[in-house]
Amino acid sequence: MGSKRKGDDAEEMTSRERKKLKVAGARTIAVQPSVSTSGSGAVQSSGNALAGPSSTTVRFDSMQGLPASIDVERFTEARAYEIDAMQKAIKTAGESVTHRVWQTLPRHLRRRAASHDVRRVPLRLRDKARAEMVPVTRRILKRGRSKQGKTKQVSRTESLLKRQRDKTWLETHIWHAKRMKMENMWGYRLAVTPTEKSFRPSHRASMHGSILHDSSYHSLIELKGPENILRSVLDLCCDPQCTGMKRSMSGARVLETDLYKPGSYPFDLIAPVTIMWQPLPVGNTSAPTNAPPAEGSSKRRRKGKNNVLANTTQQSPTRAVWVRSHPAVFDDIFAALQGSASLVLDAEKQRHKDVYAEVKIADLRGSVNTFEIMGPKSSQVIKGALSSVVDDDRQEFKKFWPSLTDLQTTASLPRGIVIGMKVLDPRLKFPPKNAKVKTDVQRPAVMTFPAAILAQSEIWDEEKRSVLKKPTYKKKDLDARRSKNLVPGTPLNPIRQDDRIPLLLIQRSLESPNSIHGIHGWTLVFPAGWGMPFLPSLIHTGTRVGGQRERSTQAFEAGTAYFPRDFPCTEFYDKFWDELALKEKAKWNRTPPAKRANYKKLGTRSPWRADWEVVLGLPVAPGVDANLVPAQREPQDAMEVDKVPTVRPWVFRGPEVPTILEKATEMFSNGAGLLTEINRLRTKRGMDVLDPGYRPEDLLKGALVMVRLKMVSRGAPNDLAIIYRVNDVEVKKIIQDNGKTRADANEPPEAAPPHTSIIGYVTTGNMSLSRGEGFAIGAVPVSVQLELQQQARRNGESRSLVKIRDRAGMVCRAAYLDLLDS
Amino acid sequence: MVRFKNRWLLVEFVDTSTADVSTGNEPLSTRSLDGRLIYNALRDSVVTNFGDTGWGAVGMSLTVKYFSPTTNLCIIRVARDHHRIAWGAVTLLTSIHDVRIIPRVIHVSGTIKHAQLSAIAHNREVIARFRTKLKNAALHHDSYDDYLARSTREIEALQD
Repeated sequence: MGSKRKGDDAEEMTSRERKKLKVAGARTIAVQPSVSTSGSGAVQSSGNALAGPSSTTVRFDSMQGLPASIDVERFTEARAYEIDAMQKAIKTAGESVTHRVWQTLPRHLRRRAASHDVRRVPLRLRDKARAEMVPVTRRILKRGRSKQGKTKQVSRTESLLKRQRDKTWLETHIWHAKRMKMENMWGYRLAVTPTEKSFRPSHRASMHGSILHDSSYHSLIELKGPENILRSVLDLCCDPQCTGMKRSMSGARVLETDLYKPGSYPFDLIAPVTIMWQPLPVGNTSAPTNAPPAEGSSKRRRKGKNNVLANTTQQSPTRAVWVRSHPAVFDDIFAALQGSASLVLDAEKQRHKDVYAEVKIADLRGSVNTFEIMGPKSSQVIKGALSSVVDDDRQEFKKFWPSLTDLQTTASLPRGIVIGMKVLDPRLKFPPKNAKVKTDVQRPAVMTFPAAILAQSEIWDEEKRSVLKKPTYKKKDLDARRSKNLVPGTPLNPIRQDDRIPLLLIQRSLESPNSIHGIHGWTLVFPAGWGMPFLPSLIHTGTRVGGQRERSTQAFEAGTAYFPRDFPCTEFYDKFWDELALKEKAKWNRTPPAKRANYKKLGTRSPWRADWEVVLGLPVAPGVDANLVPAQREPQDAMEVDKVPTVRPWVFRGPEVPTILEKATEMFSNGAGLLTEINRLRTKRGMDVLDPGYRPEDLLKGALVMVRLKMVSRGAPNDLAIIYRVNDVEVKKIIQDNGKTRADANEPPEAAPPHTSIIGYVTTGNMSLSRGEGFAIGAVPVSVQLELQQQARRNGESRSLVKIRDRAGMVCRAAYLDLLDS
Repeated sequence: MVRFKNRWLLVEFVDTSTADVSTGNEPLSTRSLDGRLIYNALRDSVVTNFGDTGWGAVGMSLTVKYFSPTTNLCIIRVARDHHRIAWGAVTLLTSIHDVRIIPRVIHVSGTIKHAQLSAIAHNREVIARFRTKLKNAALHHDSYDDYLARSTREIEALQD
């Protein structure tokens, strides 16, 4: 009786024997059978296995007694056969043992479980894989009933939910977990980096292809209120240097700016945020909305404390604003917006005692999903994967959507432009094809201008989002529909019950002004519940997926600062680097002394985190070093505890930084110049001037500015590398040598420069793939930056020169220093 | 990890047997040999020339991996430590099973792959030599031309 399963008959031989047979077979060399002239009695030359027929396509004349030329032919024919046999032997011997069947698959189709589960291998290779597999494991995988019994059965949903109690999973979690290394961050389980080696391919994708990142973990806060009140609320918190607020108020553009604690610009930077205004409905100038927004529709809704119930003002319409930020600083931003709202409403009440206004602040985390698709091909990917509904009769949109096919990079569009649209379920059109860029026909470029009507979308509506929370059709329903198609492979036609999903397309750019290394793409915002339907359609045509590491590398290559790594003097920066320092210090302690860097000997003052207080010359708080316990209480301690340090560190950042620093140098006292500029910015936004008790020298002393560094000749700086200043003599030498130093073998290595010449630290440093040389982003004090500019002017150079030394390195290399915002 | 290192000898047995018509209609030639006979002859040669110690040193690892009677090429495997004993024994062979031969060691290498590659190179050289001997080579086109062209390409691809 035959066995049940296909492979069971072959189990007479153990797998080891089978493998030995296979290897032995692959390694034998075929010998041409000698059709000997003697005929009988000849010993068969089959001592060495296979004697196959001659495989050459050559004529063979086996007649005897022919002239010598025929012998030559037979001779060369034999030699040719041998050559062929040798080549074949080399090939098969090499291939037979070294590869399993699934190793011939490309990397993105390989599965970890393929070694013990044949179903993970594509159909055409399954037989071979089954032959190669060790049969014993087939029994181990019995996914049968557990011994515990039916009452203790845990369904898959339950077991998955149990794992999510202390952290939040994104909708696309399972897809990411199979392909990426995951980590717990900020209450979410997020992908850090793909499991395959993909640092360079991901960079290439962001430069020449497309790469997707699921950023639904970013927190979203909604503010609703009268327009002028909202404007003042945001003005109090946002960076005054950003002038885009007016442009973005129509809703046609988003504004990327920094958020500070209300009223305390330039101190207390919290984080960079993205601000989106809901576009006004067209044809409706002032909508008297007396009905309050829907209650209880979003689960975690926190109302602002300032609900003075009454009718809203008739002068300015009620608008909604979305503020997107990093998830770790959500509480700080929420508190800042609340504080700012209360200040503004109090001021309003003072001014107009009879009119009441209210601002509703809601927490919309988890109600929308965001995908960031960067790279030049992102427009074609989006156009190919999404199909817009037919009943959209906006003229601007009808012109914009076809122009997306030919868009070679989103840098051609106005920065931050918002496009609202409605699409059909992307699974209807699965599998998608990228839109093809037509380069042959020269047609006039379609200019897309930001317009409020283009940005209209129903995604702002809470009810519409909650209706769409669960897709109407599951995958199996759609597959059933597909199977009813007459011609297999045709895309499904949309029917009335299919969902139509509103979404927003926002242009996103990572770039610094006057730089060619920008990375541009789209942000796709769509309602919650639709993460998994959208993801495969966007990825199918070859878009890479990136995690946190890819996202931070993109910001680094573009030359922009990445929150939180490059933002000194923010609370989250301290927390982030403290955690990192803890891990690195623990690792350093575990390593034996011979294998780790001896920071004391190298003269690195602070190897674990950048000590900005020492760099700025501020007094370090006495409780910093926990190891030192004072032997006896000194009398000064009591006084020092009461004294509040007057100099507060702050980071100076914004698009106007270069011009402000220029103006400051023109004034006799740089500090006073800076103070007047800051006060000007503050009054522009309706804040009063800084406390006059704060001296201008202290303001200048505590200021840090972000810089970017490019190596002069070779070397690539690492994180936490130390920046030193150079004196004029060295500057001349560096310019002469062009940065190259040829150290003689007999010269002792130079000692590290003294600690007094430390002017800053590198926060992110690496070999930049797009520039082909070492590149770093760091920070130096503003006073030092002004000195460096003066030094550069003195030496007739356009760029300042500094020296960089890795914290574990001995060599100081020269680098050019520039402001990050210039 | 102890590795067993080998040496692979590529040997060509040049046929010097004289066509002795008197003994029978069948001239003795290498076409009647095979791997086993070569192994026996080699063993006898080692024992004769190097004694029992020589055979003890080399015998465990001595194997004839390939022999082609049509081209007289043989690939022999020996352990690396005493491969010179086997090499000497091969050189001192004068006849195998009453077939007079002159052995000629063409190549010694550590892997069989390189022995195979050198066999291919040797064959190509021999073919080239024979073809130059044909005086009317210019007009003589045979089907080997494209075969040789093809094999050239394949070999170049292999050796990269």
